[in-house]
Amino acid sequence: MPLSTPSRRNEQEVYARWLAWGVRLGFGALVATFFLYVTGLVPPGIAPERLPQLWGLPVDQYIAATGAPTGWSWVARLREGDLLNLVGVAILASASIACHLRVLPLFVASRERVFAAICVAQVVVLVAAAAGVF
Amino acid sequence: MRLRTLAGFAATAALAAAPRIALAAPASHASALPWWAWPLILFATTFLMGIVAVVGGIGGGVLFVPIVGGFFPFHLDFVRGAGLLLALSGALAAGPGLLRSGLASLRLAMPLALAGSVGGILGALVGLALPTRVVQVALGITVLLIAALMWFTRSSGSDVRHAADRWAIAMGLHGSFHDPAVGHGVDWSVHRTHHGLAAFFGIGIVGGLFGLGAGWANVPALNLLMGVPLKLAVGTSGLAISIINTSAAWVYMNKGALLPIIIVPSILGVMLGARVGVRVLKAIKASTARNVVIVVLVAAGIRSLVQGLVS
Repeated sequence: MPLSTPSRRNEQEVYARWLAWGVRLGFGALVATFFLYVTGLVPPGIAPERLPQLWGLPVDQYIAATGAPTGWSWVARLREGDLLNLVGVAILASASIACHLRVLPLFVASRERVFAAICVAQVVVLVAAAAGVF
Repeated sequence: MRLRTLAGFAATAALAAAPRIALAAPASHASALPWWAWPLILFATTFLMGIVAVVGGIGGGVLFVPIVGGFFPFHLDFVRGAGLLLALSGALAAGPGLLRSGLASLRLAMPLALAGSVGGILGALVGLALPTRVVQVALGITVLLIAALMWFTRSSGSDVRHAADRWAIAMGLHGSFHDPAVGHGVDWSVHRTHHGLAAFFGIGIVGGLFGLGAGWANVPALNLLMGVPLKLAVGTSGLAISIINTSAAWVYMNKGALLPIIIVPSILGVMLGARVGVRVLKAIKASTARNVVIVVLVAAGIRSLVQGLVS
């Protein structure tokens, strides 16, 4: 089946549309939250003045020195300007998951079991990575 | 010709000079500059990287980690996390356009990205567990190998169509895309699919381990190994990176290795630089820019190697 057939065009189009929205939302959030952070409109958990003494440390020592969150614990601390930036990162890193979930029914409807299975496997891998299973 | 040569020298000098400002104040003396100076220097450096990356036909991620890791005061853990995000952002931004134009194939990217994602997670976990000096030495060697790969494959590229193998037939990995440069559709099919899957798994490990974008390896794997036409290989590589780097990015995020003060100026710098790079592309010879990239990679690779060996 050539790429230009309706089925392939459709899944590419749908994936592209969802990806475009995810990217817009993610970049918008990233820029907006960074502005709030660097201007001090949302006070950071770690003062920027302290960062030059901290950003040269390995990540485990940085966390020990600052109490910076690991896993999803940043969600409970979104009032801190530096952690607020992770909202944009999380949206960008979720865009591909949403796109795969959106095209999965298209593969199921066209009885393309191999691609439906790949879609499910990809979502499982990405969600497991996001959930901190690894 | 003279203008192009001058532009090449200017790009090399600018890219080399920006991190040198940072080199003047290594990690232990980082407080010599106010905190806000670093994001600004980073922005300026990544802006130049964005220009050079577009003109040199590579992703910004492959330049970011060796240069920022070697010449800035940030720990390599945070630099690798930022490098992954940088490559991810560029790939995500390009994804919709590549898919709509047909220059990327979702079906071709999906199985390869799945293999790459698993490798990316593995690489990220290993990278964050290894001692920094080991990662630095390995990064230096890898970057030098990338420079060598770029040098030896600079004029290679195959658009010979091969018969699809069993795996490709079973997955329907064939089709056609419209190439505006030639003005007609180009048929494509894939062979050595299982080798391609293995290659993407390995490339995923390297990407996750060092936080590098993987276009430098994806494109040869798709084109030279699997027989995908070069243009479709470039587009599909970008789409695959947008999925593969997502998995490793989550690992770095969950381990707390993403610092917004490094990530956001870098992403903005590379993205804006890439826009300027598209214009510069018209005035400079692509081979000159590619040579600039190779020189910068060799310098950054040697520095990373030396840093790892003497630390």
